[in-house]
Amino acid sequence: MFYRLSGIKHTRYASSRALWPVTADRRIMQVLVALALLAPFFLSDLYLTSYMLPWLIWTAAALSLTLLMGMAGQLHFGFAAVLAIGAYTSIHLTRAGVPFEFALLGAGLMSAFIGVIFGAAALRVKGLYLVMATLAMQYLVEWVIINVPAISGGAQATLSTPDVTFLFVPLQSDASLYYMALLWTVVVTLLLLNIKRTSFGRALVAVRDKDFAAAVIGVDPVKYKLLAFFAASFLGGVTGAILAFCYYQAVTPEQFGFNVSIQLVAMVLVGGLGSVIGAYLGAGFVLLLPIVLTNVLAFVASYEWMPISFNLIAHIPLMVYGALIIGVLLYEPLGLAKIYDNLRKYFVVWPFRHTQS
Amino acid sequence: MKPFTRWLASVAGAAALGLGGAAQAEKEPIKFALLQDFTAVYTFVTNEYHQGQRDYLRFVNETGGVEGHMIETIVRDTANEPQRGLEAYNRARREGAVLVDFFSTPVSRAAVNRVLDDEVVMITALHGRGDASEGETFPFIFPMMATYWSQSTVLADYIDQHQGGLEGKRIALVHIDSPFGREPMPILKDLAEKKGFDLRAFAYPSPGTEQSATWSDVRRYRPDHVIIWGAGGGQQVSVREAIRNGIRQENILSVVWLAETDARNVGGNHLKGVKRFEAVGTGTDHAVIQDIMEHVIEPGHGQGSASNVGTTYYNIGVATMAVAVEAARLAMQEFGAPLTGEKLRDGFRMIENFDARGMMPPITITADDHQGGGYGRVSAWNGEAWEPLTDWYSAHQDIVWEEIEKDAAGFREGR
Repeated sequence: MFYRLSGIKHTRYASSRALWPVTADRRIMQVLVALALLAPFFLSDLYLTSYMLPWLIWTAAALSLTLLMGMAGQLHFGFAAVLAIGAYTSIHLTRAGVPFEFALLGAGLMSAFIGVIFGAAALRVKGLYLVMATLAMQYLVEWVIINVPAISGGAQATLSTPDVTFLFVPLQSDASLYYMALLWTVVVTLLLLNIKRTSFGRALVAVRDKDFAAAVIGVDPVKYKLLAFFAASFLGGVTGAILAFCYYQAVTPEQFGFNVSIQLVAMVLVGGLGSVIGAYLGAGFVLLLPIVLTNVLAFVASYEWMPISFNLIAHIPLMVYGALIIGVLLYEPLGLAKIYDNLRKYFVVWPFRHTQS
Repeated sequence: MKPFTRWLASVAGAAALGLGGAAQAEKEPIKFALLQDFTAVYTFVTNEYHQGQRDYLRFVNETGGVEGHMIETIVRDTANEPQRGLEAYNRARREGAVLVDFFSTPVSRAAVNRVLDDEVVMITALHGRGDASEGETFPFIFPMMATYWSQSTVLADYIDQHQGGLEGKRIALVHIDSPFGREPMPILKDLAEKKGFDLRAFAYPSPGTEQSATWSDVRRYRPDHVIIWGAGGGQQVSVREAIRNGIRQENILSVVWLAETDARNVGGNHLKGVKRFEAVGTGTDHAVIQDIMEHVIEPGHGQGSASNVGTTYYNIGVATMAVAVEAARLAMQEFGAPLTGEKLRDGFRMIENFDARGMMPPITITADDHQGGGYGRVSAWNGEAWEPLTDWYSAHQDIVWEEIEKDAAGFREGR
């Protein structure tokens, strides 16, 4: 009823291979894009700068990691270090007078270069052992940033981002920063949706499922593993630069610590491994849910129905959050994306229970 | 969203008017935002600090508020994460907060540009950027106690004055491998050149629960004095390792982060003789703490365990709010209500020789100097309590200010 599939027959390859072949899906996407574009006009600056902006940027980061972990099956527990390389490279490049557009490229390339060096470990080790290798990247990069004042920015170890323009638009107002982040997230999203349909994407999936089987059918695992690390690190590096310029506006090493890497992995896993919409949902869950829970609880506590210490109020959201993560993983191990998928399938045939296929 | 919140606000406003008509018309409250990390890294330190802040504010409210205005607190957990801190900050700013205290270096560093733009006062006692002492560049940021740089000069000066001079000595700085741990390095290096002592830095990896490799290096260096520079659990490990490696307690000096809880955790009398920098007096025999006991703790309005009252971090929390309330009072007297961030800033800059009735060193904050003079003292653990060894003093502020000016200039250029 909602999706109105009956009678729709794709008569051209182009229409059946479109990103959203079903009209209703396309309509939903159009509405979402329109809402995102109009957000600065109907959202207050609090929701724009504290919810939408970080959510979009972390989604881009989670999407970059999805390319590596979800599609190519290479675990990466040091992705915050990739973001850090991008952030620091872009700041140092813009400070040296390089235009922001090229600084973004430079950030991506530098991250990709260093990411590939550590990714080379993936040629020899898999699974938990690869986790250890990428952890090494996290700690090495952090150590280098902290211990080289030329990178971290002297005794305060804080670097402010200079004022920049992107394609002649100055990035100062809340709205311009938001649109910059939105642009990048949309680019990454479209890229990932399309990579899934290319020979490159299929080769990654083949390597993920069984790398020697992929070699047997003529997919070079060495090449594709390195390419996966290169592409994901490039996207991660640019995302790190966007994070620094559009959101933090001042970078310190603590912003890219090990806990951030774990958060990114959690976003990908809770959202649903390998799913694009999962990255959006996972980033929202991991990033925004603790904030929302904290505020809800503070609101409830403000009525003073019962005396609770500030310490307990601070810890209750953690318990609820933990329970929710376990709940999601127990109820739907495939992540939030699968829950969305189930809902969609339900409505595709509603009011009936089963579809013919 | 906007129309809805406006509707909500108007309904709330109408209700408030209705109630206000019935009740006595109250003066507009002053809002302080205490957006701190209760759950991630600072744990018991924040708890005691926050408890002191809240108890002091309660005491102020119980005794008539600031010029009749009550102080309201906005409290949120940030888990030491910048993005959560920024969200809480943006929300608090909309609710009308004029002062914000994150008590977390990563969060306050990420908030620097924003508070400068929004003209909200941010206090960064014992955390955040040391160069924010430069009031011209950072007009809305108030470190208001000795920065880490000033702490290092006070400790070095103590060795110079009371432990047989610095010349020809070997000083080891054993620090956590983070920007915070490396912070005193430039100052101590300058001092080493000036005073002619040998300085070597030894870093241990964060979070500092395992330091044995570092300390065997320290032992080989055979230092005369060891300055330990860490926070939280790492400090206890440092003290234990130092003693195990044959360094006598009286030659161990610590940054401000060493308190009663650490002494308890190290155990027995092991900590006896260890020295630390002290920014605010400890214990309950200060006039301010006695007042809090009388008006807040005894009637049962305390925010936490009464056994925390008078501990190091509790008193630091009391001191931060004492200075903030004093600034608010001065600002209200000078400029009248309602209090804004700008008025509060000027109130801070009017503070002169304020010592919270003897609990802390007399600080004077001016438009240029937001540090308040960099005073502190050295105290030692006597087995039961931290006993002050010196009077309040500051040392080598010329070197400290050189570094402050240099970093503040770097900030101005980068911005």
